[in-house]
Formats: sequence, C-alpha cells, structure tokens
Amino acid sequence: MKLGFSIGSTGYHYAAWRLPDASPDGGLSARHYIESARLAERGKFDFVFIADVAAIRNFDDPRIARDREQGILKLEPTLALAAIAATTERVGLIPSVSTTYNAPYAFARRMASLDHISRGRAGWNMVTSWSLDEARNFNLDAPMDSATRHARAVEFVEVAKGLWDSWDEDAFVRDKASGIYFYRDRFHFLDHKGDFFEVRGPLDTARPPQGCLPIITAGSSEQSQELAARIADMVYAGQPNINSARSYYNSIKRRLANYGRDRDSLLIMPGIMPFVGRTQQQAEDRFARLQSLLDPKVAIGMLVINHFPDLTGYDLDGPVPEVAITKDQMSEGMKTSAREPEFTAALMERARREKLTIRQLFDVISAGFWSLGVIGTPGRIADLMEEWLTGGAADGFIVQPPDLPGAGIDFVELVIPELQRRGVFRRDYEGSTLRENLGLPWVPSRHAARRKERS
Amino acid sequence: MIDRARRKMSLGLSIANLGYHYAAWRHPDVPADGNMDFRHFVHCAKLAEHGKFDLIFLADSSAVRDLDNPAIARDMEHQLVKHEPMALLAAMSTVTSRVGLVPTASTTYNDPYNLTRTLATLDILSEGRAGWNMVTSFSIDEARNFGLCDTLDSTSRHARAAEFAEVMLALFDSWEADAVPRDKPSGIYYDRRKMHVLDHVGTHFKVRGPLDVPRPPQGHIPIFTAGGSDQAQELAARIADGLYAGQPDIERARAYYASVKARLAKYGRSPEDLRIMPGIMPFVGRTLQEAQDKFDMMQSLVDPRLGLGLLVVNSFPDYTGYDIEGPVPDLPLPGGRNSEFTTVMMQRARAENWTIRQLYELVSGGFWHLGVVGTPAMIADMMEEWFTTGAADGFNIQPPCIPVSAEDFVELVTPELQRRGLFRIEYETATLREHLGLQPATNRHVVQRLAAAVGETP
Repeated sequence: MKLGFSIGSTGYHYAAWRLPDASPDGGLSARHYIESARLAERGKFDFVFIADVAAIRNFDDPRIARDREQGILKLEPTLALAAIAATTERVGLIPSVSTTYNAPYAFARRMASLDHISRGRAGWNMVTSWSLDEARNFNLDAPMDSATRHARAVEFVEVAKGLWDSWDEDAFVRDKASGIYFYRDRFHFLDHKGDFFEVRGPLDTARPPQGCLPIITAGSSEQSQELAARIADMVYAGQPNINSARSYYNSIKRRLANYGRDRDSLLIMPGIMPFVGRTQQQAEDRFARLQSLLDPKVAIGMLVINHFPDLTGYDLDGPVPEVAITKDQMSEGMKTSAREPEFTAALMERARREKLTIRQLFDVISAGFWSLGVIGTPGRIADLMEEWLTGGAADGFIVQPPDLPGAGIDFVELVIPELQRRGVFRRDYEGSTLRENLGLPWVPSRHAARRKERS
Repeated sequence: MIDRARRKMSLGLSIANLGYHYAAWRHPDVPADGNMDFRHFVHCAKLAEHGKFDLIFLADSSAVRDLDNPAIARDMEHQLVKHEPMALLAAMSTVTSRVGLVPTASTTYNDPYNLTRTLATLDILSEGRAGWNMVTSFSIDEARNFGLCDTLDSTSRHARAAEFAEVMLALFDSWEADAVPRDKPSGIYYDRRKMHVLDHVGTHFKVRGPLDVPRPPQGHIPIFTAGGSDQAQELAARIADGLYAGQPDIERARAYYASVKARLAKYGRSPEDLRIMPGIMPFVGRTLQEAQDKFDMMQSLVDPRLGLGLLVVNSFPDYTGYDIEGPVPDLPLPGGRNSEFTTVMMQRARAENWTIRQLYELVSGGFWHLGVVGTPAMIADMMEEWFTTGAADGFNIQPPCIPVSAEDFVELVTPELQRRGLFRIEYETATLREHLGLQPATNRHVVQRLAAAVGETP
C-alpha cells in the first residue's frame, strides 16, 4: 500500500493544540514541519502532504468559534515543503495549490524548483477554491462557480504540463570549450491560447527531474471524479466506510478506460485518522483525552459548517434536538461549501437511531464521521487498512494524525511495523523519486517523439 | 540616530546563479550546471554567512527573455533557466542561521495576498531573515507568460506597485504581535480584538484579509527597490528600506544618493530609514596583475557572437557581419531600455575610436554597474570612499563568477573592510531589519490604539 502523511499545524483533532506536548507556537515553525517530515521519512511514507486555503474561512460568523481553533493560521505550503526538501532525503513532498487564484506560469516554475531542490520528490495536490473568503482576498466579491473552476483547472494543468516540457532533457550541453550552453532546437515555446490563459513560455526552469509531477485531486462529485480520471495520478478520498469507499473506488477506476488509462495508473487514497494505543483501552483514553479538551463552542461550530443549526443553549448531555438540516441557515460564506447536506442528514439519522446526546454527537464527528476514523490497537488499525486495500476500497491511505508529534510517532512506531510485518507496506524506499515510489510510469516529454527522430 | 563612529556598511551577496559575467559558466572552477543544482546554492549560502553578509539577494524575472531574437546569442548564456527564488530561499533558510534572504518578486504578475503569505512564511521559516526585492517587470517576455500581449506602461506599473506594497504592509498588520496567545488552559487560540480585517478597495486590488499566516517575526519585512527614474526614486523614498542602485561613478552615485535621501522627509522618514546599496562587480586579486589576469581571462571567454548579442540586449544596433576588430559602425541607435547609457557609451566609442570588440567587452565587463579590477586594498579604498562621502550605505556584491569570485571577496576583501572597522566582524543581531540598522516595525493598529488612549490622532 501507498501511504501519505498529512502535516501542518498540530494535528487533525480540533483540540490537539491544547495537549501538553503540543508545540507552543502552534507548530508554525520550520522545526515543526521538518521534524514531522523526518518522522514520516522514518516511517517510509511515500509523501508528506500539506492542505491549504488562502484565507481564514468563516472568521466573522459568530456561531463559529474560530478564535478557539488551531487551523486558522498556517504556513504557505510550497515554501514549507522547500524547507523540508532541503532537510530530508527520500520522502515525497505534496503541497495543495489552487488553480483558481494562481497563474500557471508562476505555479509551474515554483513546483519545478521544488522538484529540482528535492531531486524528484515533488507532487501537487490540485485544488480549486470554492470559498467566499478566498474570493474576497483575490479581487472578487463571489467565488467562481463550480463549472468555471473545473474548466479553469483543466486548462491550468494542461499549461503547467506543457511548461514542464519546455526544455528537452538533453537541451543543456554546457560545453565550456565551444561556449554553447544549450541547443537552440531543444526548447519549445508553448504558445498556449485558451479560454482562461495565454502563456507563451518556455519555462525558465529546466524540465523537472520527474518530468511531470504526480497530481492529486479530491472530491466525490461527478465532475470531480471525471477530472480525476482524466488528469490525476492519485485521488485523496474522504470515505467513511468500506461500502461507500468501494463504490467510489469502482466508480473512478471504471472511468479511466475512457481516457485510455489502465486501472493501476491512478491510486485511490482515502484519508484515515487513527487514534492508536498499545491496547484498545489506551487508544480510547487517547481519544477521550482529546475530547475532554474539545471546547463545546468549537464543536458546535463544526456542526454549523455542516448544515446544523446553532446548538448553543441546549444541554450538552441531553438528546440531540430534532432539527432541520438545510443549507438555508448557512451564512453567505458557507453556502459555497463543497460538502453535501446528505452527509449531515445521515449524521442526524444516526443521532436519532442511537439516541445520542449532543456530547456524544461531538464524539462521532471527532472520530471521523465524514471520513475514516479508527480508535484501536496497531493490529486493529492494520486489519482495517488491509481490508480496504485487499477489498477494492483503497490503494493506500493518507494518514491524518489527530495530534502531532504524539499520534504521528505512535503511528510510525506501532502501526507501520505491523503493516510491514504483514507484507503490505515497504520496509525501504524502492526508488529515488516520488513517481518511482508510487509505482507510477515515467511520463515522456510531449516532444520526445520529435527528439527520437532527431537522434 | 545611528552612531556615526559605529556606522557599518551593509553588504548583500547577489547569487545570480553562476555569476554576473556573461561567460561565468565557462570558468574552469564554475559548475556549469549549478543553476539548477541545489548543492551549489547551499555552498553559496554558507559562504555568504561565513563572510557575514547582511543578506543574500536573488534577482529574478518570470521568463526566458529574448529567446526568439537570433541576434542575441542566448544559447551561449547561462542565466536562462533558474530556480524560483522563493522556493530556493526557503530551502536555503535551513542551511543558514544569520544571513538575510531577499528574493525578487514582481508586483505586476503576482497577487498581493499570495505574495504576502509567501513572504511571511519565508520570514517565519528563517526566523526573521526575509526581505523582498520589489520589481515591476518591464519585459515583453514576462507579459506573454501572464496573458498579456504587451507590457503595462511604467506609470501603471509603478501605481500598481505602490498599492501592492500598501496592501502587503497592511496584511502584515492583520495580527498584532500578541494576538495569538494559544492559551491551553482557557482554550483561547487568538484574541479577536487583536485581529484586523483589511477590507482594502483600491484601484488595482480588492483584498479583504486578514492574513492566514501569523505576523512575521520582523513585523514588516524589509522592502528593496531599484531604479534611477524620478518615479522609482519617489517610490523608494515612500516605501523602501533598501535601494539597489546601478551607478557607474562616484559623482553620479552621490547625486543619486542625495536626490533619494532628500525625498524621505516628506514621507516622515529619516535618512537612516533607507539603505542605498549600489551594485559592484569585483575582480579581486592578491596583486593588481592577478586581478587583471582574472578579468582578461573572463573577457577572452566572451565569444564574439555572445558579445554582439549583449550589445543588442543593451540597446545598441546589431553589428553582425561587421569586422569586430574594426571601428564601431555608424548605425542609428534603436532606442529602448538602456538608451541613456547607450548614448553616452556611443559618444565615447566614437571619440576614442573603439572597435566593436572593445565596445562589447565594456558591456560584458559590467559597464553599467561598478566593475572593479583590483587588490583587496584598492577595492576597499573605493568602497570606503563611496561609503564615507555620501555615495553609498553599503553595496550589493555581484560576483562575476560564482562561487569563485565570491570566495575571493570573502577571503580577501571582507577582512580588509573588517580591519578598517567598516564592516562587522561577527553577526551582532538576529533579523535582517536589525542587520540593516532599521527601526523596528510598528503595527498600525497598536499605534492607533495608543494614540487614542492619550487623546491624539495618529
């Protein structure tokens, strides 16, 4: 199986920053990022992953206690990963970068640089930016609609790939004797003229060591799945159980043939948030510990961003009240949210069925209701991962440590050896580039055929 | 006020890949593929810190310029492909601990929100060592990589740049220094009263804020600009902390220095608030002969085709086909970017009967910045004279060959400057602002609140 390690801030649990061993600077330092990446490298992870949003979302909605959350502040991920590139040797480096508020030329050169600095370890989590808060930081009053964002993303990827092919691998002869630095017939103007971009090229960076950087996308909508089948090397999936994961897996893999791709050319990687303990009790204690630090105001905000009304004022130990789940009560900033109300309806359904209190509802969402969460021993977590891997639900996982460094260390020291013992995960890196470690094929330059003719 | 007796010069090391000389890559000790090799930059970064430089500077343009002009021998040049400076300096921040890191970034082809978060991140990663060289991108080649058929005119570029810098500084003030207590017992991560929404609506930008990156350690990272035009000088006086100047002789440098410094008062700033750092390309030798030999060797590596192309780049006519050992032909000047210098040079060329080769060697030798061939003492003399007679607050060292000429400078010239008490012997400060002797940055919201508390309008 392939494994990614999502870093940034002090972990995925909303209360992680309040743990005694959480860094007092909120993990917003070179040291925290570098140590997290080195931990991932020690665990032979394929890559570290950094999510990103170029805004603080919903900071002015009084129902959401953003002032009690850790995720509001962050470091820009491409730079954080450049620092990591210089301080690690093998692990892949995948930042999220939006196609909505970047220019493809600037993006292509930043990422090419990252790939050169890391000698072929860069990847790209391609996102489109749906939120109002981001739009407002980039000269707009409203976000672009989904169709526009996706069309722009497709063209953006085309341009970036085209730019990476600007220089043939053998373009630079650098012959000190003759004074010829490059062969004039071995670079290519892109001369792209599309609906969103006009880019002449060539890129002012040599072709990245990987040729084309591995691309990750996410999303479960029809449009997102189609986009993934068309351009992605990996999909970051948010799937809560094996049944939904299987159908998602099949739905995407089935589409690959339409684009002339085989099933192995796209890896499907659900997110997983593991609360690890040497015993089941220890794991549950870890979870309970974090939940005890979860401010109810923060938890209520988590529900609000998922279409619940504001539950402030209700008894937290009383039953979840019978409330309507609707988009109407959302503030302007949240109406554009990608998350579907059906998820929340399912959560309400479960609360009803199991007669949950509000506090128990907090437990359900913190343990990973919308994606995969697991509280257990290394054996139990490995069982689950193996079942998904062999049962057609996943090609690997992106691990979302609930807290850093603690939960990350436990995963590397307890779960990884168990996966290795079972032979489902590597004991050492197979290749030197991210592409090689992921088992993805080399992508020749679009100009390679012409080059072959030449030679 | 800075104590005049202790006034030290500021020195930047410009790591233009393999060097400022056009034939640098052909030098036997220059790694010809170093421009894409991170190890080359690690070596340079450590060298800069070893030489106690205030900062490392990376020039930039988002394009390969002039590739389709056959009169320009780009295929013989090494500055074509390079690293993106932000990523490169973020990586270099991990192998250094004191030296400042100043990338170039354009206000024309960036968004202020993106660039601000990027620079704030660089400042956090380096613990207060980031700067920003603000440029407005004049070239058609960059325009064409960013959806434009032509460049913006200079006035629009400068207006956009001024607003861009305003937005950036305001975004840096999104968070007061003590806005994020991360108080574990109470669960308060940040103090709402100390976070500020920008809501900027201007001519070029509409940016709501707040910034999603913490306030950088320096508060405001130092801003560098360049340019000799009236517009560029005014912009520098208004917003810059450092100024790169391309001045060919001390008289011009003094006039420029005086002109820029005189403008500061109208923006409520004092002369020490802006460091003027002319570029200098030194060929250093233990003896004058050794220095001259180094210079001559580099000049001999300029292929005539490359030399003729350099003339075209610098707004001279294309002399392809003429005898390069013959006199400079009498062709009309095409005009363009460096036309002021070009005109002066052409007058000299005529008066002194230069050959075409002599003319292009002047260009490749660094005619428009201060090219110096000399012993450590000669170079230090020149720097001292500029520094003490109102021509410079420091220098941006542009080594002709990297790393070799940078090594020469650090081994030979730096100790001489230190011996004369003109330059620091050890780093005494932590941040780039402090290295440069700049005032600590204030947060506008704190200033306003303090002013309101004592009943004043700020």
